[in-house]
Amino acid sequence: MAKEIEVTLNDNKVTGAEGMTILDLARAKGIDIPTLCYVEDLLPTGACRLCVVEVEGSRTLVASCHTPIAPGMVIQTHSPRVIEARRQIVELMLASHPDTCLVCDKANICELRKIAADLDIGLPRFRTRKHYFAIEDVSPYLVRDMSKCVLCRRCIRGCNEIAKKNVLGMAYRGFDSKVVVDCDEAINTEACRDCDVCVSLCPVGALSKPRKVEEKRRGKVQVIKG
Amino acid sequence: MAENTTITQSKETKDLLILLAQTQKKCGFLSEETLANLARTLDMSLSDVYGVATFYSFLSTKPLGRHVIRVCKSLPCHYKDAAVIIESLEKTLGIKTGETTPDGRFSLELTNCIGACDKAPAILINDDVHGDLTVDRIPQILQAYK
Ligand code: SF4
Ligand code: FES
Ligand code: FES
Repeated sequence: MAKEIEVTLNDNKVTGAEGMTILDLARAKGIDIPTLCYVEDLLPTGACRLCVVEVEGSRTLVASCHTPIAPGMVIQTHSPRVIEARRQIVELMLASHPDTCLVCDKANICELRKIAADLDIGLPRFRTRKHYFAIEDVSPYLVRDMSKCVLCRRCIRGCNEIAKKNVLGMAYRGFDSKVVVDCDEAINTEACRDCDVCVSLCPVGALSKPRKVEEKRRGKVQVIKG
Repeated sequence: MAENTTITQSKETKDLLILLAQTQKKCGFLSEETLANLARTLDMSLSDVYGVATFYSFLSTKPLGRHVIRVCKSLPCHYKDAAVIIESLEKTLGIKTGETTPDGRFSLELTNCIGACDKAPAILINDDVHGDLTVDRIPQILQAYK
């Protein structure tokens, strides 16, 4: 059996098994830390930083999804500093996100929208700068709209780790970063068959199935306060 | 730099960057064919190889001119009005960033910090650093590169 480790989580002394991440422990104790790039079955990459928490003695906030618990850790999952950081991260994501939610097929099941609503994100504070890419709809299996991509890499990891096809990769740099197929080719049937792994993993409307005529939108209508 | 044969024949993923840099030096740019060959030799996906090739400002996936001008786009240079330098270079050369002059003399590219922040705004032309740039000095600097 794994060794039990004692840590302080939001002022309570709790124990968890060695090897657990802070996120695992928090979830086991019923504490809800928002995540975007983290998916239980995939290796964590720490790409989105939404899951940050405060750990005493650490200069920076740490990403809970890939930081293992250590003896004596003092963790705050919802301190003002943490909430402010999470808000800012989401605001930055929204600053480059196209305003097409009204007509987005995934609007009602979009994780980004849900997180933004949970964190009470209001009107944009930052000047917005969008990046637009042509919608790729050559494949009968999936439609890629990279303008909506939040760079969580869930599709890349799903394709590598679950489908084992290694079709997708991350190219370019900084604001120009983009998930690409080969040398930035529009995804076609040669590269990709309809395994649907990436489509089901994408938290936003960047990857979707071609919409059939008269097909209804999925999910119940999301009501955003504010 | 050592034209190290052991590295050139390497089949290890960790040597990808060295192989890309060597090919860039030899061929001037990295064609899709080159990238595809590398991917095959190293048993990597083409997407991953392309990802590395496009991450670095000193690797190029398209042919470049005889002289490559790289304008620093990092924060210190940005605050010292690198945008004005870029604009002026674009005007002087008659091309946009990322393009090459029709006569093949100059390519205009952006790069991340080149470690000349004390001389911001700074540019690189091939391997030469030109710092403390002003718009007035640009034509004279370019003259040295035929
Ligand atoms: S396409 Fe979707 S799953 Fe892939 S990186 Fe972008 S947001 Fe994440
Ligand atoms: S969920 Fe932890 S960094 Fe994205
Ligand atoms: S920021 Fe331009 S040289 Fe460092």
